[in-house]
Amino acid sequence: MDEEAIIFSVFTAMIPVIVIANMSSFGGGLYPYLALIFAVLTIGLILMITFADFVVFPLATSILGITFQPFKDYKITKKQDAVIKSVRGIYYATGFITANLFAFEFKEEQVEENVEEREVTSLQNWEKAVMSLDFPFKFHVLSAGLDVQNVRDELEGKRSYQEFNLSKALQSGSANDVIITDMQRKISIIQAKLDRIAQGERPIGAVMYFETTAVGISEKAALDALSEQIRRIQVAFTGMDVQLLRVVGRELYTLYKFNFMLPTEVVEMESNFDKEQ
Amino acid sequence: MVWLVEQKKLFLFLGLFGASLFIVVIDISISTAILSPILKFIILLIAFFVDTLAISSRFYSYLILPIFKQMKRNVVLSKEDPYWIASSSDSILHKEGEEYIATVYIKIPLYRSETEMAPEEALEFAHQTSRLLGQSRTPIRFTHEMRIMDKDAYLDTIKNMISEVENEESQLMAQNASAAELSKVRGKLSMWRGIFDNMSKSSSLELLIYSSVSGKGSQEFEAVGVAQQRAREAISAVSSIFGITPSIVTGDELLKFVEPEYMIPYSTISEQITKNIREEVV
Repeated sequence: MDEEAIIFSVFTAMIPVIVIANMSSFGGGLYPYLALIFAVLTIGLILMITFADFVVFPLATSILGITFQPFKDYKITKKQDAVIKSVRGIYYATGFITANLFAFEFKEEQVEENVEEREVTSLQNWEKAVMSLDFPFKFHVLSAGLDVQNVRDELEGKRSYQEFNLSKALQSGSANDVIITDMQRKISIIQAKLDRIAQGERPIGAVMYFETTAVGISEKAALDALSEQIRRIQVAFTGMDVQLLRVVGRELYTLYKFNFMLPTEVVEMESNFDKEQ
Repeated sequence: MVWLVEQKKLFLFLGLFGASLFIVVIDISISTAILSPILKFIILLIAFFVDTLAISSRFYSYLILPIFKQMKRNVVLSKEDPYWIASSSDSILHKEGEEYIATVYIKIPLYRSETEMAPEEALEFAHQTSRLLGQSRTPIRFTHEMRIMDKDAYLDTIKNMISEVENEESQLMAQNASAAELSKVRGKLSMWRGIFDNMSKSSSLELLIYSSVSGKGSQEFEAVGVAQQRAREAISAVSSIFGITPSIVTGDELLKFVEPEYMIPYSTISEQITKNIREEVV
């Protein structure tokens, strides 16, 4: 949870807390209890919006039947999971799937010994998956080289923090083996990243995603075909050991806009997505 | 621009949060002797609703105001075209607030397959790809696009051939031509129909690899200039790493990378849809 999320959720949670503290001002009978119930529900909703806005908003627009026209000729569906365009009576539905495919580059598995083997097999798996698909799709990698010094400083800070935690746990003797092994693993991951930077490799910030378009003679036909294509992409790339999640909500709008305007600075790119830790 | 968006978001949040706080404080401070408990409770629900909107404004500020302004089921965020092709026809332009954002597309003619690589070459290729991703300090997008081949022109030619031969056949029948002549024309007709059926029953796919970069400016030409400069840097990075010559996409070809109907050409796909429906009906 970043600082912004903390600020937004703490401020908004203050309102139901104030209500709970002043329950008696709502008169007698059932009203104070109703106020309490709704205050608790509001706190629950605030937490859900903070941690899973992609569930709450599409659900709300789905129930209310609200669709959006982001630009002329385009429509975002009420479930906020596809962008539709109608051309001469044919509907084109476009959907997105998140996919951090370069596992060897960005994920924790990086510290495993057989990294090179993984790099070679990932190419094989990629080609096999692509050959198994017979519909149009795009795989995008939006990347930017990060500032080496900043990333190194950040990683060194994280390593020191983990080392401090480890030594504290070892001294106290209260931590069990699982916790200690986990801490050691975290330290070795950070060290592996630092080593790669020391070898001259530039750290990368990246957003990777699939985009696929399906056609149909009605909106429903296009959306059904799109869901099927998304499912087939998820199946085809399971061999690559990555999470392939269908994009819904605000990120769909962001990714759709990337087709005609990309972020021009790293900070702009990062502001659109939650960072992988 | 990020700063501007953040400012707008912050003002919206503070406005909604302030409104919610104000309503709650008033609601709590008014005695039940003045305002009935049921009214107080309704006001409280309004305050909670505004509070929920305040937290939602963190990510959905672009939706909240239009939804409440328009109060209808199809909320229009913009009636404008999302982009237009620059007069230099080498980039597409989008206007966001007072700024122009130009995006340039670069075609990368990379046709290498893992199946024809030795393990060392495959490893080297993976390293080259990693190196390429870290080359630029500004965001750059690399895309691997599998698109349906545009067979529209080819299918139209075959359709024309079929109608020509059909005309020829009807003329021969009207002239009471010999059976040999008729069977020759019918053979030709069945050949063209066979080709047409084969070509239209399934779509052929083609692979494109391209990258895209954007640049912004207060004027169109400034944005295009920045984007073109970044595109030239990307081209030199790609050609130095892979030893190939990428090129900037111009004119209508740009639409291939942006519009869904260019990714799936109209008559190619409409023929296929018609055929599928016919099959389903039969």
